Amino acid sequence: MAELHIIGQIVGGTGFPQNSLFCKWGVHAGGAWRLLAGLKEGQTQVDIPQTGDMAYWSHPIDLHYATKGVQGWPKLHLQVWHQDSFGRCQLYGYGYCHIPSSPGHHRISCVTWRPIGSWQEQLAQMFVGGGPQLRSPELVYSGADRYRLHTEAMGTVELELGIIMRHFDKYGVES
Amino acid sequence: MTEAVMATNSPSVFLLTVNGQIEGANFPEYDNLYCKYCFVYGHDWAPTSGLEEGITQITCKGSHSSHKLIWNFPLETTFKSTNPSGWPQLVVSVYGPDVFGNDVVRGYGATHIPFTPGQHTRTIPMFVPEPTWRLQKFTSWLLGRRPEYTDPKVVAQGEGREVTRVRSQGFVTVSFNIMTKDMKKLGYDTGPSSPANTQSATSGWSTEEQPYKI
Repeated sequence: MAELHIIGQIVGGTGFPQNSLFCKWGVHAGGAWRLLAGLKEGQTQVDIPQTGDMAYWSHPIDLHYATKGVQGWPKLHLQVWHQDSFGRCQLYGYGYCHIPSSPGHHRISCVTWRPIGSWQEQLAQMFVGGGPQLRSPELVYSGADRYRLHTEAMGTVELELGIIMRHFDKYGVES
Repeated sequence: MTEAVMATNSPSVFLLTVNGQIEGANFPEYDNLYCKYCFVYGHDWAPTSGLEEGITQITCKGSHSSHKLIWNFPLETTFKSTNPSGWPQLVVSVYGPDVFGNDVVRGYGATHIPFTPGQHTRTIPMFVPEPTWRLQKFTSWLLGRRPEYTDPKVVAQGEGREVTRVRSQGFVTVSFNIMTKDMKKLGYDTGPSSPANTQSATSGWSTEEQPYKI
């Protein structure tokens, strides 16, 4: 079996309406993939940066997968949340990116979006916060049923991922 | 023992040699800082030579040269492992005196050791834990004590982070020269070894000046 190591960090988020952000993340892979070591989901710290717009999470990722095929290549999906000073949380964005399929060090900027509601809901959101969320978060990394959503652009999440591949060349996989 | 490993033709372990330095830091609000470092790595890893932890001198900002704190502190360690999982991370923590002269923490940070051979520079964002309650905030201000991690190594772990609130307030710059041995022989492809000019790219969004332009 070929092996894939994903080693890196979720560095932080930038371009969101406010800082004091945290991120829930997970890695989703197809049926041929087996996780041998590492955490495949988690939640970062909440960062309230002293200066600047970027919230830093420095959240480590270290995953070891074994696979029988390249179908269902792992994807990293993210949810960015804002936490206010009372500890209330509000969704600020969904996003996903494919794990790079070439070995080496990669810097990834993952764009995010969030659903918007009707104008009444948007008006209510302006005053009381909150806002619509996805009932099934799998929609973040699948293309089905997206067409029914109305969304707006949010900030980006910066990632640094290192990829180590083993025995892919043995099976003739070129990456 | 390294000689013995070098001699074998069909290796079972690979080596990672880290030479580098903690160059310095950028903390706009603080001065007279020192830095501690240590490595955090998985079960399959073991250091074979060099120091696993260290502590720098106390430095203050140069009067003519910008606002940078310089340590120029050497890092020299070699690790061996059978498996890249649990790849070593460098954990740094920065301390300095507050107005009463007590040493308090000014930032924690961590980064993975680069794994492609060559020269790399990493700018590590530094953060401190925040008091959870307003009362705690008040007492910590009153007594001049701030929350600290009992073990700085927690910043290299992905578990249990969701309960912490932090404030990021500076950067530490570290440069690495990486050599690996026998990773190719064991079948690991770590990608093209980086040309020297990628070093600025790896720290592009956190250069010293950029984040402080508000």
